[in-house]
Amino acid sequence: MVSKVVFLITIQTDSVEFVAQTVYEQQRTRWAAGVSGQRIVYQMNAPNQHSDLAAVLQLGIKAVTAYERPDFAERLRRLQSKVDRTDVQIVVVGEFKQGKSSLVNALLNVRASPVDDDIATAVHTIIKWGPEKRAYALVNEASEPDGEGRRVEIAFNEVRDYATELGETDPSVIVRGVELELQRKLLEDGLILVDTPGVGGLGSGHAAAAIGSMSIADGALFVSDAGQELTRTEAEFLAQAIELCDHVVFVATKTDLYPNWRRVVELNQNHLRRLGINIPMFAVSSSLRLEAVRRKDKQINIESGFADLISYVTDDVIDASRQKTRVEVSEEICAIAGQLSQAFEAEKAMLSNPAESQNIIGALERARAEAEALQSSAARWNTTLRDGVQDLVRDIRHDLETRIRAVRKEAEKAIDNSDPTQIWSELQPWLENAVSQSIITNYRLLADRAGTLTVEVAQHFGQDSSVVFQPKTGDGTPVLQMVDPNRNLDLQTAGVGGKGLSALRGGYSGFLMVSMLGALGGLGGPAGLVAAGAAAGLLGRRAVKDERERELSRNRMEARREVARYCDDVMFHARNDIGETFNMVERQLRDHYDERARELRESTNAAIKKADQAVRTAKQDSQRRLRDVEAELERIGQLRRRAEALVAPASKPEGR
Amino acid sequence: MSTDLFDQARELLTQAERVFAGLAPQQELIEARNRLDEPLRVAIAGKVKAGKSTLLNALVGERVAPTDTGECTKIVTWYQNGHTFQVMIHPVDGTSPVQATFHRDDGSIEVDLAGRAPTDIEKLEVTWPTRSLERITLIDTPGVDTLSTEIAAKAHEFLDPKDTDTPADAVLYLMKHIHTSDVRLLEAFHDEAVSQPNPVNAIAVLSRADEIAGGRVDAMASAKRIATRYSDDSNLRRLVQMVIPVAGLLAETARTITETEFQALRELAAIPRKDVETLLLSADRFVRATPETPLTEDERLHLLQRLGIFGIRQSMVLLRAKKANNSVELADELVKRSGLVDLQTVLNTLFVDRATVLKTRSALLTVERICEEYRSHPGTKDLLIAIERIMAEAHAFNELDMLAEIRSGRIGGRRQDLRALEQVLGAGGTTPWQRLGLSSDADREELRSTAIGQRQKWSRVAESPLTTKELETAVRVAVRSIEGVLADLPATVL
Repeated sequence: MVSKVVFLITIQTDSVEFVAQTVYEQQRTRWAAGVSGQRIVYQMNAPNQHSDLAAVLQLGIKAVTAYERPDFAERLRRLQSKVDRTDVQIVVVGEFKQGKSSLVNALLNVRASPVDDDIATAVHTIIKWGPEKRAYALVNEASEPDGEGRRVEIAFNEVRDYATELGETDPSVIVRGVELELQRKLLEDGLILVDTPGVGGLGSGHAAAAIGSMSIADGALFVSDAGQELTRTEAEFLAQAIELCDHVVFVATKTDLYPNWRRVVELNQNHLRRLGINIPMFAVSSSLRLEAVRRKDKQINIESGFADLISYVTDDVIDASRQKTRVEVSEEICAIAGQLSQAFEAEKAMLSNPAESQNIIGALERARAEAEALQSSAARWNTTLRDGVQDLVRDIRHDLETRIRAVRKEAEKAIDNSDPTQIWSELQPWLENAVSQSIITNYRLLADRAGTLTVEVAQHFGQDSSVVFQPKTGDGTPVLQMVDPNRNLDLQTAGVGGKGLSALRGGYSGFLMVSMLGALGGLGGPAGLVAAGAAAGLLGRRAVKDERERELSRNRMEARREVARYCDDVMFHARNDIGETFNMVERQLRDHYDERARELRESTNAAIKKADQAVRTAKQDSQRRLRDVEAELERIGQLRRRAEALVAPASKPEGR
Repeated sequence: MSTDLFDQARELLTQAERVFAGLAPQQELIEARNRLDEPLRVAIAGKVKAGKSTLLNALVGERVAPTDTGECTKIVTWYQNGHTFQVMIHPVDGTSPVQATFHRDDGSIEVDLAGRAPTDIEKLEVTWPTRSLERITLIDTPGVDTLSTEIAAKAHEFLDPKDTDTPADAVLYLMKHIHTSDVRLLEAFHDEAVSQPNPVNAIAVLSRADEIAGGRVDAMASAKRIATRYSDDSNLRRLVQMVIPVAGLLAETARTITETEFQALRELAAIPRKDVETLLLSADRFVRATPETPLTEDERLHLLQRLGIFGIRQSMVLLRAKKANNSVELADELVKRSGLVDLQTVLNTLFVDRATVLKTRSALLTVERICEEYRSHPGTKDLLIAIERIMAEAHAFNELDMLAEIRSGRIGGRRQDLRALEQVLGAGGTTPWQRLGLSSDADREELRSTAIGQRQKWSRVAESPLTTKELETAVRVAVRSIEGVLADLPATVL
């Protein structure tokens, strides 16, 4: 039994690299499937509604092709693929038996997720749009639990067998998840609902997986029934959740059952306020909603509280995610337009002010040298990244080690104070929980620190690249009339402050993370644990006590050994995963900024070429050429303005 | 046999009193002796807000303990039978108890603590003349509060059942529906205010059972399935004898239902079935119904608070099917459907029928603890030997010990064998038919022949060379139990 803790991070940079996008999709699948190494790519068929966005992107591609910048064209095409596929993923989380699956069913008016009074959902259920009703199981061969996963189609009425803990399925496979495709209006725009297992409670390894899944989701519905106030575990879970996910919504369920649900909701609002958690709260009744649909009764539907929840999901969560894509596209195109205009600005400056040509060319050449310096390993951003990653890996590993050591100490104390054979069944889930909580806390630190590093690298690159972008003469006078390239950068870093991870996701250098998958529950029973067999009664209680003492000390040793083995095992995997994670971070950030630096050099090259052309332009032609250049600049300006209009306040959904 | 056990315990206590004469434990020993003549003490424990007071009221059959949506039991409160209504305050500082004034508001007792803080009070002792408290004294506890404990402040304590003396002889643990892999499954059992979990004297109650299935009419069937699954969980088996589902609120209300409430329910049951169904779709609908709905909004709210959606649905079914034609019949049916009757039966078979053993056990454990505390005091050694002797010789104790041993997993063997052994040892009750796994109407001949068959079977197991020493010990105790059954069933003289 080997515990597998998987940290996976991928960066979604401002150019949205195709690789990153693919990896991102795989990560989503991975956590959903609960295993590393799954290779299942999603196909989204849902129609998208980004007509203006698509138009601006098309225009951009046309422009960069015309200006012979295949590098930019490539970057925009990758962006295009993202616009085409606007998945919005919402995870449904909460304690055992709070009505998560019922909520999902009521949202979609379908019995998609199995609901039972006792048996719990055991795996993630992913529900998305499809032209017809289909169900798939994501499975691993039992003989190869860490191997490549398969996606097999199953009959709809088999979903229950695959998704619940007591379901009977083929024993030769391990079910990692269930995927459903439904033709539902709510899903049409790319919404993906994910029902998570509530097994083991919010403190367990399952919860760790849920936290991991939330950190890459666009939103989360936190479900807690209105029969009782929030528990401490729930409150703690929520606090972690809002740190990692942008749109967390509190859904109080089962309002049909409790006459005092309003009071509970009020109490919960107070709890959340006290904890500084500010999230929207909805009170719903899934059974009323299903009844409303059955009876086609509008009044009952209103009472179910679902209308508000649905409009929040579509208006706020889905649109916010769209808005993020729009901001990204807008910023990308503005940045590209800026670089495209550089060459024409250079030519324009040369043509309109031939006396300055020496200075201008000098400044441009300095800028090119700067651009080349940006590509070198001695560049400031590069050093920041390299040193930063080293520090991070060390700190994060140290943090986790400290935490696990503390957990281990506590477990050992418990073992030394009692009979391990008696407490083991309680100690086991406790230890696994404590370890997964350590990992979650560590993960949040990791996310936070990695976020800060990304911003730092971005800032350093941004500051140094603005020098390239705005060529200056020796005495520091700008030679071109360029739009401030740092405009967007400020915008992005401004949003970073509070939330380490989520503010970054989808932003300039967003992070996407998945973590802590698979079975954390690798703690077995100590092999040598012998229950002290001396039966009381006939032997006399005192004699039994003595014999038990001897067995006891032996058992304690065995139990301590097992705890140590488990902790070492977790640490071993975690150490590796932390290392791998940051290797990936470093590699992706480096690739991204290398590409940016190359583009900048290309742009300065183009500018120098244009400047050279301008020098050679015959005087009689220069006026005509100047007009052409200005026309080009105007065209580029138009592109930029259209890109800017994408995020003009009027079109922002927040304005509603 | 049982009086014999009592006599032995009394004798031991007298001996102990002599040993500790003039010392601090003397008073405790006198109390321990008195305790033998008092009813069995059953504590109701569990987490805060698990519905302990509600269940207590249901068991008493009167609304004596205050219940509220907020947390309300703050002091350990004893409810015992007596001739007059009286409440005594036992201060924490050990000063003598003082009588408190109290009044009954909305049924439940409200005690005037006369300016004392709840933390200054060790316990409240409510004396209440009622038949339900004749054989058992009930103890209500504030419960474990997990919300107030700071995350890191208190290290997790693990449950390791030990033989220690506690103020209660037996205990009912109220637990909520939690997944068996959840670390919090056992939270309820950490309530050690008056007792400790031990498969010998503890039962778990799956409380708020009606809510598990969303208050549907068949909710209790679901709850029963869940309770059965829990009863099979090894983690719970080492702590309690069994898990029983109870819809506490319904049980409490059923036992205290008023004629007015019955009439109100009857009025509701008179409207067309479809309308009632629509009305009962949600709590809000039920309360804020259309003006033509019977009863006032306040009356409907009152019914809902008293019965819950589940209770009202049940009542409607019963009234419509004419299974209950007056308030007494309705109360009886609802009590049955709440699971309270099952709980009472189990309480009787496992606790009340065994009261002598459980009380003697408490007394012996008290003496044992005192002896451990005064290890060097002359005479303690003799006392300990005497305790040994009583415990080893009394077959009833051997049975309890073996039960605990089997439950703790210390005795290896085939699962079905162990379950059968537990039954013979009295895990499901101590009457002959219960031990032999027969139905309650089994006649003497059937009992005898089954007992003889089982004696043979177990004797063979005991003698088999493949049987481990531990299992053999347990089997021999079981064989003695069967012999006890046979001794009470002399062959009919023809």
